[in-house]
Amino acid sequence: MIVSGPAVVWRRNASQGAVRSFDEAFAIVRADLAALAAGNPVFSAHLEMLDDTMLCDAVQEGISSGLAPLDALDAARDGIVAMFEGIDDEYLKARADDVRDVFGRLREAMAGEASGGVEQMPRGSILVAEELLPSDTTRLDFKSLGGILCHKGSSTSHVCIISRAKGVPIQVGVDISGISEGDTVQVDDPLAGCLQSIASRARASGLKVYVNAANLDEIRSGIEAGAEGVGIFRTEFLFLNRSSVPSREEHAAIYKEALLSCGGRPLALRTMDIGGDKQLPYLPVQAEDNPFLGLRGIRFSLLHTHIFIPQLEGALDAARSVRDIHPEWFEGGSPLHLIIPMVSCAVEILQVRDILGWLAPDYRSLLELGIMIETPAAVLDAPALAAESDFFSVGTNDLTQYIMAADRGEAAVAYLYDSFAPAVFKALQLTVAAAHDAKIPVGICGEMASDPRATGILIDLGFDSLSLSRLEPIQ
Amino acid sequence: MKSAEVILGAPTGLHARPASELVKLVKGLEGSRVTITCGERSVNAASMLSLLSLGIKSGTSLTVSVDGGEEDAALEAVTGFIESIKE
Repeated sequence: MIVSGPAVVWRRNASQGAVRSFDEAFAIVRADLAALAAGNPVFSAHLEMLDDTMLCDAVQEGISSGLAPLDALDAARDGIVAMFEGIDDEYLKARADDVRDVFGRLREAMAGEASGGVEQMPRGSILVAEELLPSDTTRLDFKSLGGILCHKGSSTSHVCIISRAKGVPIQVGVDISGISEGDTVQVDDPLAGCLQSIASRARASGLKVYVNAANLDEIRSGIEAGAEGVGIFRTEFLFLNRSSVPSREEHAAIYKEALLSCGGRPLALRTMDIGGDKQLPYLPVQAEDNPFLGLRGIRFSLLHTHIFIPQLEGALDAARSVRDIHPEWFEGGSPLHLIIPMVSCAVEILQVRDILGWLAPDYRSLLELGIMIETPAAVLDAPALAAESDFFSVGTNDLTQYIMAADRGEAAVAYLYDSFAPAVFKALQLTVAAAHDAKIPVGICGEMASDPRATGILIDLGFDSLSLSRLEPIQ
Repeated sequence: MKSAEVILGAPTGLHARPASELVKLVKGLEGSRVTITCGERSVNAASMLSLLSLGIKSGTSLTVSVDGGEEDAALEAVTGFIESIKE
């Protein structure tokens, strides 16, 4: 999608001298961060950094040694950033960005830079910026933005993810030095705005169009935008950033709300996909050398049943209480679909069925049970797995990584990570054939479903549904 | 001043969440100044940035020193906490 509009050039640190003292700026930033931190762990970490004695000490030291306040601030930032970047640990190196962000806020407050310009932009403007940090994105009014041009950043950086999720086209890596305020500029973003056309094409061929969701808001906005259901409801948000195991009641309340938001349309709830790459404070797990081949998905759930069973109980409770309110939603089968992640053999499905049968002998009337197809083992043994499943859902991101044995985050082998590779295509063929032989539906989620180049292929392969990363409301 | 040695057992080293809990613990120890020494560097344990900047890896031996306040109790609390970090 290419959009054009008048440029609004956003420059950080527009003024030369400080208009506020460090202490005044500190108080302003502290109040801002405290408000943001309430719902967001990134900003609560930033707040902690701000409160850190090291930060204040470093700035005060610079000021008392005779530096101008803004220079003292920059010197303190450079010192702390260098310290983090010097650490031989990728995780800690990445914290340097958080340090920059916190100092960026302080600098803006001290320099008195007005961010009002961004809020009062005429509708359809193209925001032109050298770099946009996570904190900047919280102040942008995405509704009035026509697009974003940015010099620094990659297509997977925070600002791109946020911007596309808000439906705003963004192009990064653009030389912005020659652009002046008011110039007409273009944003070329092949990934923006195409989801609605994918949805129309899929519907025209008789496929159902679902939406992916990772929280209740995304369910509501997807259904509002016309999705025929939720193709994958990721439930990890319930498990992370907390200090205790989520209870049956917590699960039930969220899932009931999710089912009600879907209004009788299918809700495919993926059970927890936790593994060695995510740490839970209430479950110390051993770090693994190779977490993607380790204890994750259903393997983790079957080992840690004290975490898994409350989730299943919550799902059953939610289905029961929704059925009491809307028995008509259950007439053609339950709208609640449970998806088990990382299945590699039929026994795993049977074990989940055993647990469900033990929790609720009538569970088959409360939910349908399907599996993610994301391991080569699941593809190769798909007929056996189909015999135990009510539906299949293909997760192309993990499937591509495992079939090609290539980590897409590893630059040297990223060329192999290709969902259009012949081997991945054959895997999709085998999966669809096994599902249809067993007369169960097969859907696709993962990035491939939202890629306009794949739509025709997926329709031809015979998929019954596509689950898109999001749906724009029909204009 | 009291000090003791302790080994960090956390498999992925000292990361932000446990570091922030350690800072909370240290800030709650009234009248005690807690210093952590790793190799040649010593930092104030009430500063998360300083703690993280040490880049402490799993299995590293640290020296915890407590100056002022209830030194014995504070030392025991801090070393006990570091030993208990499992994430």
